[in-house]
Amino acid sequence: MLYRTAGQFKTSYAADQALFPVRQDAVLLAVIAAFAWVIFPLIASEFTFQAILIPVLIFSLAALGLNILTGFAGQLSLGTGAFMGVGAYACYKMVTLMPWMNPIVAILLSGVFSAGVGVVFGIPSLRIKGFYLAIATLAAQFFLVWLFEKWAWLYNNNASGAIQVPNLDIFGLYVTGPQAASVTEYYIVLFVVSLLTYLCINLTRGNLGRTWKATRDMDIAAELIGINLMRSKLTAFAISSYIVGVAGALYVFAWKGAAEPNVFDIPLSFQVLFIAIIGGLGSIMGNFLGAILIVGLPVVLNLLPAALGIPLDSAMIEHLNIMIVGSLIVFFLIVEPHGLNALWRLIREKLILWPFPH
Amino acid sequence: MKHFTKLALAAIVAGVTAGAAVAQEHYVPNLSYRTGPFAATGIPLMNGQADYLNMLNARDGGIGGVMVNPEECETGYSTEKGVECYEKTKGAALVTQPWSTGITLQVLPKTNVDEIPILAPGYGFSPMMDGKTFQWAFNTPAGYWDAADMIIQYLEGQGDLNGKKIVHLHLDHPFGKEPLPVLELLAEQKGFELLPIPVGLKEMQNQSAQWLQIRRERPDYVIMWGWGAMNAGAITEAVKTKFPMENFIGVWWAGHDADLKLVGEDGKGYKSISWSFPNADAPVMADIRKHVVDAGKSKSNEEEMAGVFYSRGIVISAILAEGIRAAQEEYGTAEITPQQLRWGLENINMTEARISELGLDGMVPPFATSCADHTGNSGGWMLEWDGSQFVKASDHMTANVDNYRDLVAEKAGEYAQANAPWPVNEACEG
Repeated sequence: MLYRTAGQFKTSYAADQALFPVRQDAVLLAVIAAFAWVIFPLIASEFTFQAILIPVLIFSLAALGLNILTGFAGQLSLGTGAFMGVGAYACYKMVTLMPWMNPIVAILLSGVFSAGVGVVFGIPSLRIKGFYLAIATLAAQFFLVWLFEKWAWLYNNNASGAIQVPNLDIFGLYVTGPQAASVTEYYIVLFVVSLLTYLCINLTRGNLGRTWKATRDMDIAAELIGINLMRSKLTAFAISSYIVGVAGALYVFAWKGAAEPNVFDIPLSFQVLFIAIIGGLGSIMGNFLGAILIVGLPVVLNLLPAALGIPLDSAMIEHLNIMIVGSLIVFFLIVEPHGLNALWRLIREKLILWPFPH
Repeated sequence: MKHFTKLALAAIVAGVTAGAAVAQEHYVPNLSYRTGPFAATGIPLMNGQADYLNMLNARDGGIGGVMVNPEECETGYSTEKGVECYEKTKGAALVTQPWSTGITLQVLPKTNVDEIPILAPGYGFSPMMDGKTFQWAFNTPAGYWDAADMIIQYLEGQGDLNGKKIVHLHLDHPFGKEPLPVLELLAEQKGFELLPIPVGLKEMQNQSAQWLQIRRERPDYVIMWGWGAMNAGAITEAVKTKFPMENFIGVWWAGHDADLKLVGEDGKGYKSISWSFPNADAPVMADIRKHVVDAGKSKSNEEEMAGVFYSRGIVISAILAEGIRAAQEEYGTAEITPQQLRWGLENINMTEARISELGLDGMVPPFATSCADHTGNSGGWMLEWDGSQFVKASDHMTANVDNYRDLVAEKAGEYAQANAPWPVNEACEG
């Protein structure tokens, strides 16, 4: 009833190829967009911005980047954290060397550097596959974090070895650094995430996306029908690392404000990989669902006991939190091994038939 | 349904009372870490902090008649959780106690905007001593640069350092690199050779490569900036490679009883500089036992309470309580604001008399803070492991702060410049 598709006729090719051929999908997205762009900024507290909205969006973007590589092109990567670091350090160097640069442009450009690094570390993918490739990207992870520690030029020879985000403004409005308001940072993150998500949806539907999927499903067959594997794999590495790098720049510039090299270490890579897997490999929306579950939910769970008036120790809450989120991950993967995105697809299909199933 | 209404009512009542309670308490949240890889060193500190404040609540009815709420927010030492906790608590909090250099680095620039004091006793950024630049940050009673200076002073007392070789074994992290500027300065002045050996976060438990290098280099002394699992790793490795323990000195965070108990007698002679000392006979310990431990409100145990870290937690909370008291007296109000607490923390005067009035006899050296000096430079004692516990191996020492005062000003200036616009408190004298 709510999701009835009957009566929605497509009379042209353009209509048939629209981004959201089902009207309800478009309406749903419009509602979500309205919440994200208008309602949340109006009602959210600083805590909600800093602890839930901004990190969920940034982690969604990082997972989206990884999903392009792992979910769409089938190349397993464990180096996401380090590629995020490349983006963050590149952005830091750009804004400190060229203080006149528009910070948003710097954030978008920083992805170019991580894309370059990603392509270099993607070259082994032409010869090795699967777990072996994962090990090669793991090498990237270790090497890059080591480089962030040892190469003092990267952090401007700071005694502490950490990077600190300076106060940067666009037309007098602070957009990064401690002087920036949370709502400004949120809008920047939202703008970048929306832009890149839109690009990715179209990319994965288009020629390039189909090439990636063919490579993922069977590379020999793909080669036989004339797909250039080298191009396919390296573009996947480049675009994926670009998005991951931008996410890394946002992670430091629009959220944390300071970072030492070890925040880009392997736990970050795993966190992003879990988001992509639980959200659903080879999906766009899954990244957002996964980030809500892995990044947003623990924050909400932490608040629950106090809101309900249950006196619990902070450490106890943390322990419970880890157990609950852990079991939820296992639960969702048992119920739907293809991730939250597949779960949503199932629900949607049922809704289309509801309330008159066959 | 009836049941549900009751529940809802109860929730509302709880909410209202909680709201009322917020107005009449000193909310001093602690970003604790009782979980994660550093929990072993975090727990005794957090217990000491909480027990002291709970004792004040039980014995005196809080500070100045207003109860203290030492709520903890668990970070697990993760900087991401640190942001979450800071944002969650900053609305009502009088103070931020970040408890990790990473979280301090993130929170420090925000303090000028949010106007909440950071209390980072004995850790964080050493130039925070410059109260003009770092108006909101306090690393009372001593900073890492003080520690470096005192360690070198102590070693000098053992014989001329000219031509000696000193290894600085440190965690490869902002924390471990912190004393390097002063150590380099001292190396130049005293003519010893400084050799920094970093230990990566992943190598903390297995330092065989570092200790192989130490064996090859044959240094006269090893000083250590270690934390968490790194301390136990270094100490066991030093015992294994038969490094003379009496030539091995750690910073105050590397003097945890449990790490030394692992090696027991073999660790005899290991030293650690410290601005706190456990005194089981101090009146404050008796009060804590009476009001908190016997009432079953403590999470600690006998063994832990005898240790260096538990007593350091007590001292930290005592410093905070002194700041609150000073602010209450100055402004003539029991319920103070974060801005007033800042004044209080800038005007702590811990004289010998005051220390024994507080019942902290022998647990902390006297010190005083001012608007321009946010550290107080209490100095400290060299502690030595005698095989079963830490004992004092020196008289009260003080750091030669004048030697690196210029360095403090220089680094503080650099920080302010990198974070421009950064307001500087020109009202301070000196």
